[in-house]
Amino acid sequence: MENIIPPSGLSRRGFLGIAGVAATIPLLAACAPGASGTVDANTVLKFWDMPWGAPKYSDTAAEIVKGYSQSGMPSWSYQTIQWNNFYQTFSSAIASNTGPAVSGGGGFQAFQFAELGKIAYADNLIETMKKSGSYDDFLPGTIDSMKTAKGYVAMPWAMDLRVFWYKKSLLEKAGAEVPTDWDSLVTTGKALRKIGVSGFGIAGGSGYNHAPQAIITMMLNNNGGLFDKDGKLDCVTDRNIEAVEFVKQLVAENIIDPGMISYSMDNLVSQWAEDKVGFGVHEPGLALQLGDTTGDVLVSSPLTGPHGDQGTLMFVNNIMMYTNSPSQEASESFLEYYLDNMITLWKDDAVSRIPVRQSIVDLPIFQENAQFVKIVKEYQPIAKSYAYPASSGFAGLAAVDGGMQLWQFAQTVLEGKTDAKKSLESLSTELAKVL
Amino acid sequence: MTSTVTTRSRWGRGGVGLGGRGAATPPPVRTGRLSMNKFVLLLMALPSLLVILLINVYPLLYAANQSVRQGSLIDAGPLVGSDNFTDVLTDKMFWEAAGFTLVFTLVGVFGSWVVGFAIALALRTKIPAAGVFKVLLLLPWVIPVVSSAMAWNWLIATPTSPIPLMFEALGLGHPLFLADPSLAMVTVCVFKVWISFPFMMLMMSSALAGVDESVYEAGRMDGASRWQQLTQLTLPMIARPIYISWILMTIFCVNDFTTVYLLTGGGPVGATNTLLVLAYRTVFQDMRTGPGVAIAFLMTFVLVVISVFLYRQIRKSSLQ
Repeated sequence: MENIIPPSGLSRRGFLGIAGVAATIPLLAACAPGASGTVDANTVLKFWDMPWGAPKYSDTAAEIVKGYSQSGMPSWSYQTIQWNNFYQTFSSAIASNTGPAVSGGGGFQAFQFAELGKIAYADNLIETMKKSGSYDDFLPGTIDSMKTAKGYVAMPWAMDLRVFWYKKSLLEKAGAEVPTDWDSLVTTGKALRKIGVSGFGIAGGSGYNHAPQAIITMMLNNNGGLFDKDGKLDCVTDRNIEAVEFVKQLVAENIIDPGMISYSMDNLVSQWAEDKVGFGVHEPGLALQLGDTTGDVLVSSPLTGPHGDQGTLMFVNNIMMYTNSPSQEASESFLEYYLDNMITLWKDDAVSRIPVRQSIVDLPIFQENAQFVKIVKEYQPIAKSYAYPASSGFAGLAAVDGGMQLWQFAQTVLEGKTDAKKSLESLSTELAKVL
Repeated sequence: MTSTVTTRSRWGRGGVGLGGRGAATPPPVRTGRLSMNKFVLLLMALPSLLVILLINVYPLLYAANQSVRQGSLIDAGPLVGSDNFTDVLTDKMFWEAAGFTLVFTLVGVFGSWVVGFAIALALRTKIPAAGVFKVLLLLPWVIPVVSSAMAWNWLIATPTSPIPLMFEALGLGHPLFLADPSLAMVTVCVFKVWISFPFMMLMMSSALAGVDESVYEAGRMDGASRWQQLTQLTLPMIARPIYISWILMTIFCVNDFTTVYLLTGGGPVGATNTLLVLAYRTVFQDMRTGPGVAIAFLMTFVLVVISVFLYRQIRKSSLQ
């Protein structure tokens, strides 16, 4: 009986139509662009930062942000974004216009978002800093590493370099010298192998960038690289083949432990701690990570390649401004303040990264760390980016750095079964897909 | 017999399922209009409907759109039609990942079922402190996979880890559990069986509890051996829960991201890459949204086919 419909009833199609419209309204609302316009002093703008060290880092950075006060300018909030899935976090926030006005992030994130029109270029800020004199405080090449054809995509705040480390006690035990070039690295590696120690520590596990970065460090050390001067993919070169052959030799001689193909970074650090690694490429903070207070974990001088070249891989950690900021003027004012006051991070020993400003390098607390000083003095001048020999970065580097291709290539090399040239050809094919 | 045939024919038309109107109920008259009562009810259901649309249908449509475009997480990009699917299906890495996903699923489903079923049978016998055993056996399922994967990594990853040291002490060489591609595949599968068998054990225990003891008594009186009782009485009688557990475990295995990602990350040299890990890495590490979503769609399609096949087996076993 309930099938008899009163004249005033709604048809099913009508109901579905209403439901459809009702469902569309919140979707459209969610997709609508964010508000834009002027910004007053009561507005709070967002600065997102990454956890660049111990919890003390975030606390200190938050204090610096809290200390920002400019007449007529908005105040800023500080939020830490975890590295896990950070790209999704930024992407979804930026796509929905709920992202930050200024942020830190991945090394090539600014290039990537700039290509999508989401980055506010820092050229104007750089002009301001030139006038104030603080521009000259930046170490050579650090600001230029952010330059693209359209402008500066971000401002540098610190550096991350790949550095050769050794354990003095293990080298003494093996009766080996600190390597200075590739040949002496093999000699030292063989001596270390005799006492059951790996002579080239590497973490080749899937998803870990350590092994690919170590192999690319060897390529750069031989004046090779993944690109040509115009930024076009060019990785199957004689210098790269030579570098990969050398790494394969380290595998064949057991100087690289066969198990390292699956090591995570934690595995590798634990092997350093357990005296199972005597030499290897690592981040600048290895001695601090190992808690070494006896001066046993030391930075060696950069190796010299077979043709007399030197070089290592460098990442410039940077801070970028976004186009969805309610006020570009406010973003620039804040970023200038932050860059001028981030010295507190080093003064308070809240960060263990290599600074990009001479005034921070000159701090007594920084000068006390002989390893850091050596890195700035000997490694920074020879450091090169992934883009080398191209002079500017580009968006594709983000996929190169974070993508599968590099660590799969590294695992192929560490497996030792594939010819060096074939490994590089395969890498070239795979990289072409993401570039 | 007549009744069974009637039921089957009705099911065959798909018109009446469980909770249907029954043979005596006249078919409803379709008028195309709603009563006021129904309208109010539907209006009240509207918020839930919107939530379902937002959290299920919208992402699905959005993903379907991305699978035919070449873009990023921020910008969907230009339409490329079926190119992403073609690229994925002609990629060697996809087929390698599909191969390991198949192996991982087969071992995960049947390995955990065999172990779980065997333990469930063993627990039917009277043993002292059976409750304690049951709780202990549930631990691999209860402990978060993140914790157990970290624990396994600590146990086997490096030459100085406990298990490699134990192998060395026993004169069994230096196995590279995570570094050798073949051994890594075995390790990942064994880990999957280890974390999954308690689920199967629970499913099978409850299924076995439902089998009437008198069936076995009758079997014994007819001279059935233990093996015959198992294969011709127990298994047919619990076929339905077995199929259900296989369906669930198939879905768990195909959709298992954490096990592979945390233990090997898909390596070494892609040996333990599953389709899900590949899809994740393609989208979030290679930044290729279209091909990554295409992988996820292909995976879902295969999963639906397998689930439908197993679901049909359930219906068949119910009818028998």
